[in-house]
Amino acid sequence: MDYIEKCRRIANSYYNQGLEKAGIRDLTGAAECLKKSLHFYKYQTDARNLLGLIYYEIGETAQALVQWVISTNLQPEKNRAVHYLHEIQGKPGRLEAESANIRKYNQALFQAQNGSEDLAILQLSRVVEYNPHFIKAHLVLALLYMSREDFTKAGKSLYKVLQIDKNHPKALWYMSIVKANTGRAEIERRKLKNAFSHRQMQDDDIILPPTYRETTGWLTILNILAGLVLGAAVIFFLVMPASREELNARHNQELIRVMDQLSQRDLDITELEDQLAAAQEELGQAQQDLQNIGGVHAGELGQYQILVQILSALRGQDVGTAAVLYTDWDPSQITAENMQGTIAQIQEELNAAGGPALQQMGDAARDAGNADQALDYYERSLRINGDNPQVLYDMALLRQARGEEEQADKLFGQVILNYPNTELAEAARTARGY
Amino acid sequence: MIDFEEELSRFKPSLEIEVVEDAIVNSDLTDMTDIMMELIKERKE
Repeated sequence: MDYIEKCRRIANSYYNQGLEKAGIRDLTGAAECLKKSLHFYKYQTDARNLLGLIYYEIGETAQALVQWVISTNLQPEKNRAVHYLHEIQGKPGRLEAESANIRKYNQALFQAQNGSEDLAILQLSRVVEYNPHFIKAHLVLALLYMSREDFTKAGKSLYKVLQIDKNHPKALWYMSIVKANTGRAEIERRKLKNAFSHRQMQDDDIILPPTYRETTGWLTILNILAGLVLGAAVIFFLVMPASREELNARHNQELIRVMDQLSQRDLDITELEDQLAAAQEELGQAQQDLQNIGGVHAGELGQYQILVQILSALRGQDVGTAAVLYTDWDPSQITAENMQGTIAQIQEELNAAGGPALQQMGDAARDAGNADQALDYYERSLRINGDNPQVLYDMALLRQARGEEEQADKLFGQVILNYPNTELAEAARTARGY
Repeated sequence: MIDFEEELSRFKPSLEIEVVEDAIVNSDLTDMTDIMMELIKERKE
């Protein structure tokens, strides 16, 4: 066997080892074997293609391309690398995206090595999000997390690495540190101890079977009853308190809410009461002001109103109504100078015509059987013109007819005394009876 | 415990796709077979 053949066989042997290791995902070991294979025989195409595949698997796309391009150059025909290259270059934009992702990793590494760890973590997170198989990025990310003592996140990154490459030495080392810091190492050690600490059974060991008792009907019923009692006890002691507590908490919350609302309402009521008191005070003040104003002007104003009504009645030739109004009128309260002429004119006219008019109205009321109205008119007539014995006599007769003897005698007396030698005085005496 | 700075400095930038051509050109493809052939050739001479 010549040396070249020996080299080929050695190369082939390393390739087989690499293939085996790649099969169990020991990618680092496989890559080492494949590199050795290629050192012995560069035309070992399968070894080169597999090496490219491993590079691609761990996120080193450029390295994979190098191997596959060299492979296709060394063996242009019947080469699987052609298919790999076609796969990568066939999809538009894929290679560019891969390239950008690698650049991001390099930037993040630079940032991490220059103290910008926060930025590096952000960048690396994006890198592994795009390519979850990028082992180098995972490792740097894990290292950064470890430096911050965030061992849980570091462990997650390392777990992903070890899923891709089971024997990655650096990942294993980092993971051992992470486990030591999270207590995971101790748990695993205990599990391992338990798994292998069982004593092997001997021939004379006896396994005691659990006791078996045949259940009878009564026993079944008792068991059911015991189960029911147990269930009831569980509900009473475990479920009920919890639900009661929850209910109480809910009621307390509701109570607090209602109390808050009541407090708010009280505040509102107090505020409204204050507003009401202020408004009432303002109202009282306004009424007081109004009364003051009315007190000053009501009398004068009222007299003006009567004046207007008198003028209106006179304009309508209704002397009787004017006379009635005149008897209620107090012209002295009208102080305006320009009104004094009008007042004098009215006084002159009604002093002359008002008394007779009222007397006539009294007579009409008396004839109509309305004694009260008649007396009112007679009294008003006397207020204008008191020197009228006929009115006095008529009033006396009306009083006498109503049984008001005293008042009637008084009126008859006035007629007799003031007009002694008249027919009315004689008639008064006769009516009075003496 | 890891010396963070030292460990970080051991990481190298990943090969970028733009420089794949240079990497291929600069690849040393000499294998053991080439060396043996060279040795045999030298011995014959």
